[in-house]
Amino acid sequence: MNGIVSFFSGPAYIALYTYREGIRKKVLIGFLVLSLLVIFGSSFISSFLDPSSETDIDLKLIKDICVTAISIFGVLITIYISASVVPGEVESKVIYTILSKPVRRIQYLLGKFLGAQMIIIVNLLLMGVLFFMALYLRQGVMPTLLLWSLLLTYFEFLIVSAFTFAFSCAATSPLVPTIGGLFIYITGNLTEYLKDVEHRAGQTGQALDKIIGDIASALHAILPNLQNFSIKMQIINGQPNDPPTDVLIPNLILYGLVYCLAGFACAYLVFWRKEV
Amino acid sequence: MLATFKHLHSLFVMALIVAALAAGAFMNARLRHLRESEAFYRWILAAAVNERLFQEDSARDQDLDLYNRCAAVMETMPGFSGLPAPDDANTGELTALGTIAGNYEQDETIWNFARSAEMEELRQEFLALARERKLRFAQDIQYADAQAGGVNVFNLFFGFRKVAANFVWLEVDRYWHQGNTYRMITLMRTCVALDPQFIDAYLIGAWHLAYNATARMPDTPWPQREWHPRYEKCLGEKERFYYTAVDFLKDGIRKNTRNSKLYFDLGFSLYKQKLEDYPNAVKYLTEAVALPHEQYVPRQLFLCLELNEQYEEALAGWKDYAARFLDNPVVQEVAPRFIARNEGFLLENRAAELRKKARETADSAEAERLNNEADVLWEQARAVWESINDPFGEGRKMRMEALDMRQEGRYLEAIAFLDKARWEASDLFNDFSDLIIEIKQEAEIPLTISEKKAVIRESEVGLCAGMPEAEKEKRLRAAEALDSGL
Repeated sequence: MNGIVSFFSGPAYIALYTYREGIRKKVLIGFLVLSLLVIFGSSFISSFLDPSSETDIDLKLIKDICVTAISIFGVLITIYISASVVPGEVESKVIYTILSKPVRRIQYLLGKFLGAQMIIIVNLLLMGVLFFMALYLRQGVMPTLLLWSLLLTYFEFLIVSAFTFAFSCAATSPLVPTIGGLFIYITGNLTEYLKDVEHRAGQTGQALDKIIGDIASALHAILPNLQNFSIKMQIINGQPNDPPTDVLIPNLILYGLVYCLAGFACAYLVFWRKEV
Repeated sequence: MLATFKHLHSLFVMALIVAALAAGAFMNARLRHLRESEAFYRWILAAAVNERLFQEDSARDQDLDLYNRCAAVMETMPGFSGLPAPDDANTGELTALGTIAGNYEQDETIWNFARSAEMEELRQEFLALARERKLRFAQDIQYADAQAGGVNVFNLFFGFRKVAANFVWLEVDRYWHQGNTYRMITLMRTCVALDPQFIDAYLIGAWHLAYNATARMPDTPWPQREWHPRYEKCLGEKERFYYTAVDFLKDGIRKNTRNSKLYFDLGFSLYKQKLEDYPNAVKYLTEAVALPHEQYVPRQLFLCLELNEQYEEALAGWKDYAARFLDNPVVQEVAPRFIARNEGFLLENRAAELRKKARETADSAEAERLNNEADVLWEQARAVWESINDPFGEGRKMRMEALDMRQEGRYLEAIAFLDKARWEASDLFNDFSDLIIEIKQEAEIPLTISEKKAVIRESEVGLCAGMPEAEKEKRLRAAEALDSGL
């Protein structure tokens, strides 16, 4: 028992330190302020609409703009933080001091990853609370469906974060993994197109055509498909007690955790072989 | 030794990655199955709404064929038969699937059916047909639409298309204030194509079409109207707007089958208020009431039931409504008046039925008994109208007096009385005018020119361009019959 506690106490300290250091980053604060401004500003978008019409369109505008702002700024924060926590320490050479102490690489990496997750969660909560308040003040009822939407948004970020983190472990500066993270997010949203490639393959009857189809099929089966999380947009404007949504939410949470494990294992493999 | 450890460690981590990716692939497959089932489920609901309410069929699309095969599979599956339908469902002509889909509390059952192993073959066929764009009702279901591949609206903006729909709506609002109706309609369609769950776009769009776009248009004269085969009616520009609004809301209902606001607006704003088509108003308001709804929705249903002369249903509805909302002062003020109104109508109708039976019977004793019974009911009805004590009740009393005069053969007196009364009880103006015509025809008193025009206007005798020969012939015969009656 003591062994387990001492194994996890190291990562906990590193996570806390990473969080304290990361939350002060100016770029991060910039993203956060921008997102908060967009969320706050969405409340005024209804001024563009006919003030005499008694509709819920302004509410829908707020919901859609806020979820989109949280997704866009949230993923930028996720990528930036996940891409910079390890290369930043390699650049500043702090990593050598840490690894010279009785800290295993896995502990260091786990601490860094958990620290990055703490930053992402805190930022998401800050944006979510403002969104929650904007909706509550206008609607007068607790927007509970919003909580499910935010939860799914986090698990989408978790996948992007884990693979960006793996990228960052191979890099010495945050720039390359940041670009890599954006690439992961974009391709993750386009995985559905691989199925299209698979369907169209084999039309010419050439072997290469078939091979391309098989590769597309394999990639489609293995790669994470971030479009699965698109129901986060449906939830907030949809009807409560929708049976498919109730089944999809726990599956998507599990999906996020499984790919997070795959991403973290990749990160560990890369970092373990890294000469530091 | 160290090298071996490192090698083993690497292998272990790689095995972990492979295992995680394999688990990811498993989850991918599971989510794919769930999303396919979700698309299939939403398509089933849309097709079931079409079966239950619209009965539209297109030779080009294969929705109906696939739906019927799904319904046939359901009939054979244990556990899916004998499930409760909505209380007022007309289940006689519906498939079991259509009946179950009419009850939103059975959504879980439809979902379990859509994702069951027995439906695997039909589900794959659904996806293949969606890929070939042969399913009309699948075209705005995100996952099904994405099967077609290429660039489609659901892949645009990384799923942020709902925001784009909102900005398009701001443009619609701007065009509306500029009075640019035709541009507005196009953008409204774009808006709901980007976001098929944009309920307010359907509601406000239909309102603009039916009310605002037509506000300054005169009714189209018959010679300028054209036959519309889809609606089987002669329509001009103004009237086409009403039906475009109906279609717009029906489209919204297919894509959002569980939203009562769409059913309510179709039933109340369009069929009741604009088209005065009370059977259809009752049909869609009944659907709205069957779903989670606002408190005012049943009131409109009961009003339409009354207008559709379904007094017993309206009476039962009002009584139940009043009993459910005992602490609502508005309900407690309004409901008793309408309960009394429907009771009055029922008593009048029963009395009229008894008098008719008395006239038809050969037995004079029986006729006298029936007439006495009718008189009692007639007086009860008069007492009900007396108790209401509002302009409508006063009007109904006057109508009863006029009918008494008619009964006694005092036709001219009845006509004069009604002519005066229709200006005193404006709520019943049309009703009194119709009664004057009825009495004049019964007493063989010549109609005035405006009365003749009113008779022709109310009857389906108008001809218009593009009308099929059979319909034209039917209407000409009806016009001849009407003319001989006049």
